[in-house]
Amino acid sequence: MRKTILIITIMLTSVSLFANGFVTQFINKYGEEDRPLNNVNIGKTMLDKMAANTEDEELRSAFKELKSIRIVSSEDAKDSRYYFQKANELIKEEFGDYEEVVSVNERNSRISVWMKREDDKKQDLILISLDENSKLSIITVSGKIDLKSISRLSGTLKNESAAPEEKAGEPGSR
Amino acid sequence: MTAKDDRHIQTLLERYWDCETTLAEEQELRDFFRGGDLPAAGKPYAPYFSYINEERSVTLSEGFNERLKEAMDKEEDRSKQYITIRIFAPLLRVAASLLLIVGLGASIFFITRQNNKPWFVETYDDPNAAIKDATYALEALSHALQTTEEASLQTIRVIDDLDIDWSAIDSLVTDEVEADSLAALSQDDDTVSRGALIPTVKMKENI
Repeated sequence: MRKTILIITIMLTSVSLFANGFVTQFINKYGEEDRPLNNVNIGKTMLDKMAANTEDEELRSAFKELKSIRIVSSEDAKDSRYYFQKANELIKEEFGDYEEVVSVNERNSRISVWMKREDDKKQDLILISLDENSKLSIITVSGKIDLKSISRLSGTLKNESAAPEEKAGEPGSR
Repeated sequence: MTAKDDRHIQTLLERYWDCETTLAEEQELRDFFRGGDLPAAGKPYAPYFSYINEERSVTLSEGFNERLKEAMDKEEDRSKQYITIRIFAPLLRVAASLLLIVGLGASIFFITRQNNKPWFVETYDDPNAAIKDATYALEALSHALQTTEEASLQTIRVIDDLDIDWSAIDSLVTDEVEADSLAALSQDDDTVSRGALIPTVKMKENI
């Protein structure tokens, strides 16, 4: 009976651990007090509101199809390099069901994009990048992801986008 | 008390100790010792008969029989219950197992369902504030995709500049495919002679 309870507990723990997304697992596993990380979480409700607010048709359709966007970033170059390595380790160790769809290894920047396709309406995407200033960005996007239309968004977004500011004290930030 | 009575009592006592007295004689003895005027020979026995008389005066309280019967009935019911539990014990085990499985299934179902829900706290309350980060994320993704596309195109341009004779490579590939098909046919068909394999080998050597 004790063995049964132990097995059930382990199963439930592993299931609940697996239920956490990449960002949650990454922060829980590698986040350190003396290496601060910025974390921004945008859920389905907010994405729907944003879709209703924006006038750009392509952006609106992109927001409507998505379920969540989560961003983790680091301002410090040294910390960014450390976290970049850890993020790549985590994805290879714990997220074996993700496929690497894009990988860019340039002299000054590194980008890798991983994707898991559950069905036509549910895909999970993880982007891990280290830009030319050695700043880390981990972006996870969940929902119906159309890579072609996202690729076309670049010109539209350039005026609106900006690097996420530090959200000290915000819920979900570290 | 007369001497005759005295002897009679002595005789009764002797018979009493020998367990030969009748019920009437025992009653007579008890009555005798209940009286205050006892002979010297009978005095040692007085406490004993006094005790007997006291004990006989103790009676059962009112409703004792009913209470006893009730208690006995309860005991009987309890034993019946125990038998019922014993009979249904295997069924109880099965029911407990089923309950465990159903509970586990329900837990997994709810946890899986939770998986579809966002497992985090929203950072923003205001969509206008959130849009900057959302567009930043999509921009970064878009940039990554475009960078890859550009890198692929650049690779193609570099290969184009190498001045490779593609038609010669294509013909070599076609010849190899045809030779492989011949080899496959020779393996499938026993009627093809082994000599048919020789050109295949040569062709590969030429390549």
